[in-house]
Amino acid sequence: MRRVVSAILPHIVLIVFCSIILVPLLWLLRVALTNKLQAYQIPPEWSIPHIRNFVEIFTVHPFSDYFLNSVTVAIGSTLVALPLAALMAYSFARYNTGGLPLRLVTLSSQMLPPVILVLPLFNLFLKTSLLNTLPGLIIAHVTISLPFLAWLLVSFFEGDIILLEQAARIDGATRLQAILHVTLPVAAPGMLAAGLLSFILSWNEFLFALILGGAQASTLPVGLSSFQTHRGVEIALLSAAAICAVLPVFFLLPFMRRHLIRGLSLGALK
Amino acid sequence: MLKRLFLVVTVFLLIGGLVQAESIRLLMESVPDTRYIQELLPQFKAETGIDVDMEVISYIDMHSKLVPQLISPKGSYDAIVVDFYWVGEFTKAGWLMPLDDLVKRDNFDTGVYVPKLIELVGRVDNNLYMLPFYNYSMAIIYRKDMLEDPKEQAAFKAKYDMDLEIPKTWDEYWKQVEFFSRDTNNDGKTDMFGTVIQGQRGDCISMQWSNYLYALGGQYNDSNWNPTLNSAAGVAALTAYREALQKFSPPGSESYCFDEGFNVLAQGKAFSLQTFNIMFAGFEDPESSKVVGKVAITPNPGGGLNGAWGWAIPKSSPNKEAAWKFLKWVESYEIAKKRALLGGAPTQTKIFVDPDVVAARSYYPILGEILAGAQQFPVFTYTTQLVEEMGRELNLAATGEKDIKEALDASAEAFRKLLIKDGKLSK
Amino acid sequence: MPGLSVLLAVVVFPLGYALLTSFYDYTLIKPTYDNFIGLGNYRGMLEEAYLGTSLWVTLKFVIASVVIEFSLGMAVAVAMNAVTRFKSFYYIILLAPLLINPVVVGLMWRMLLHSELGIVNYVIGLGGIAPINWLGNPKTAFWTVVLVDIWHQISFMVILLLAGLSSLPREPYEAARMDGASPRLCFIHITLPLMRPVIFIALLLRFIFAIKTFDIIYIMTKGGPGVATDLISYFIYRAAFFGLDIGRASAMSVALLILILALTSYLYRYMRSFK
Repeated sequence: MRRVVSAILPHIVLIVFCSIILVPLLWLLRVALTNKLQAYQIPPEWSIPHIRNFVEIFTVHPFSDYFLNSVTVAIGSTLVALPLAALMAYSFARYNTGGLPLRLVTLSSQMLPPVILVLPLFNLFLKTSLLNTLPGLIIAHVTISLPFLAWLLVSFFEGDIILLEQAARIDGATRLQAILHVTLPVAAPGMLAAGLLSFILSWNEFLFALILGGAQASTLPVGLSSFQTHRGVEIALLSAAAICAVLPVFFLLPFMRRHLIRGLSLGALK
Repeated sequence: MLKRLFLVVTVFLLIGGLVQAESIRLLMESVPDTRYIQELLPQFKAETGIDVDMEVISYIDMHSKLVPQLISPKGSYDAIVVDFYWVGEFTKAGWLMPLDDLVKRDNFDTGVYVPKLIELVGRVDNNLYMLPFYNYSMAIIYRKDMLEDPKEQAAFKAKYDMDLEIPKTWDEYWKQVEFFSRDTNNDGKTDMFGTVIQGQRGDCISMQWSNYLYALGGQYNDSNWNPTLNSAAGVAALTAYREALQKFSPPGSESYCFDEGFNVLAQGKAFSLQTFNIMFAGFEDPESSKVVGKVAITPNPGGGLNGAWGWAIPKSSPNKEAAWKFLKWVESYEIAKKRALLGGAPTQTKIFVDPDVVAARSYYPILGEILAGAQQFPVFTYTTQLVEEMGRELNLAATGEKDIKEALDASAEAFRKLLIKDGKLSK
Repeated sequence: MPGLSVLLAVVVFPLGYALLTSFYDYTLIKPTYDNFIGLGNYRGMLEEAYLGTSLWVTLKFVIASVVIEFSLGMAVAVAMNAVTRFKSFYYIILLAPLLINPVVVGLMWRMLLHSELGIVNYVIGLGGIAPINWLGNPKTAFWTVVLVDIWHQISFMVILLLAGLSSLPREPYEAARMDGASPRLCFIHITLPLMRPVIFIALLLRFIFAIKTFDIIYIMTKGGPGVATDLISYFIYRAAFFGLDIGRASAMSVALLILILALTSYLYRYMRSFK
């Protein structure tokens, strides 16, 4: 009996949790399929859903541009930041470069509110013609995620990994071989989590995209914000856009899933 | 042979260079007029050959985006739109190019504009910096079907010994607000509200409360810039506001802004509210409103709060001449009228009474009236900061966390400090 | 190390700029470095009426959201680690809120929590509960903002903790199981200690992000009602963009930074001391 309970309990926890997350999103989907009038109608009335909102965001508003820009910047900044952060984290973990002070300083630029960070960056981009460009935004987002990733990865490079790596070295591997064949695979879940974090940070980042971007380089957060018009929030369009922004990931994830699982379970193996 | 080829290619390149379309970049906010202008852009291109690249962002992000652009010597935008909040700030900082010379050179008639709008988003200290683009002055939007209902009229007359008609004085309006707040399904809770308070801290409450201030005869400051908002009229206005919040408005109004207020009226749960006149079209849209055909608009007694956006050419504009061409075109009578017909918010006096416009949108003459009587919020360098601090104090008073007189005194004090900082008042 | 130099460039440049600006009278009206006023900005900052309130509200917010997110997040992460079937299904749903950007989250919840027209009040009304003034009552508004933040950000904690959990070695558990230890004992004496570095990072990162919470406030409450949700990042934003005083805003940011650094190093030493 006990075994049954302990097998089901995690599922119950997860189901409750997922419902709390899913229900508001399902409501959002409902709003996306109706209009502003229905969104605020109490008691709610149900009518035939229509996909006009979804069509409108692609025709009247450049949703596909926003989406592609966001994807590009998010993936781009992750690809740049992750290796750099890994290098940094490795050096922190192995050699304790700079000790605690340096590690604190690393994170300190991110403890400043983005408002303060954006102005010097703007001036810099102005002089180097990086304003309103996707590479510019990628660089800007790297400056945000790099400190966090470095910190995050340090904790995955510490601990038992050091012993494993040393064991491999003793067995005759060079440092590079040890890193490639032992350290990286074991730290893989951490790297994946870090990559995910970097992607999400960039995906949701608003202020830099607003100030440093422009018509040619506008991302989803900026685009979605423009649904707040002077006449009120176009909630139905906004909902449709929000759903469209999230949906592709749902389709992509099953593919990523295989790698995620390998990464997550490899870590547990010896 | 090669030389001839070279010549031909060079000539082609030259011609190509000359013929290459000039293009300008605009930064606009998401108001309906923006979309109407976008529809009319091909005409501009046909007339002048200039391409127009419009970037549209939400009005709440506009200021943050504009400021870095204006500070730098060369920005990305040729023409911008400026909200009246920032007129003082932008002109004090010297970011906008004066348009007087261009106006004189091209004989552009600025007399076509409603005088109150030129005052608000046009002239600053004898220089013309902007052309009024879009107005959003505040007024009372109400359910005319409820006013015209004979049963209601009889009951109202019985209760107040006054006719139920379009409110011309504050007293009339207040009685109507009280009258229409009721519990229609007898469950002990009011579900029909006389008005909707939009009391969210900051911008929302400051804008709506201004109408109460003006209606009760108050002003923000006198002609010498001495703050007067904490006068007896101010106290009366804030007291009334708090009463409306507690008795005649939905619970939760302390956090409402214009969108929430709109939705309450649009769902048929309120009699009236003070809001921007541009919201009117939303009530007539079956996609967002249940009360289509049932609403009307009337000026706020004592004058409603004036609001507008103006076109401006920043000093950091890369192509000022082309920007000016655009401004002249978009504000020409023909284009302004087309915008109005599509549903835009005009700024030129004649458009409000143009027969074609009136035929398409019957309430526009009333809009003209509203504009003519609109009151101006103090516009100086720190207007935004004033709205913010006053917005906090007003909100604290409205929720009952602070005493009304204290809150108004604190606001007046904040106002005074900012005026001193701006040099308008001496210590 | 090339990584190091990039990192330093990325970090030192904005830090230096902020520090420098905080000593000058640098406003958006006159963005020049002509007017050196030393500690003038810092002194002025202390005179700001509501700065103390804002710091206090921020502290409450951060502690509330981090503690709740950590506890719930750990529970969910442990559950995720324990199941084998449907894992990808749960994972995808888990990720969803993180991919919805804060502006949409704020607007969506404003719609759902509208006191008159929102579906949440309607549903709880069906259950006999009186409608709650989610955003209009100062006390409720604070907790509403905390809850929305939790809804949005808890998955972040779950992902980090899950990554940590899944890289734990199996031996200690097997040994403990053979000794007859209960799952709870295993958790307290094996899992938690082994997870320490990951827990520290998760808490630290979440702590910093919580302090920087801005969008939810900006969209949902503008710091109100009254000053109930006036988080420090919104406070500084206002100083910069409404008050137009970048010097003052920089001073506040630097002061905040020093505070956080102090707290962080304390937390770090504390966690290290457990080893």
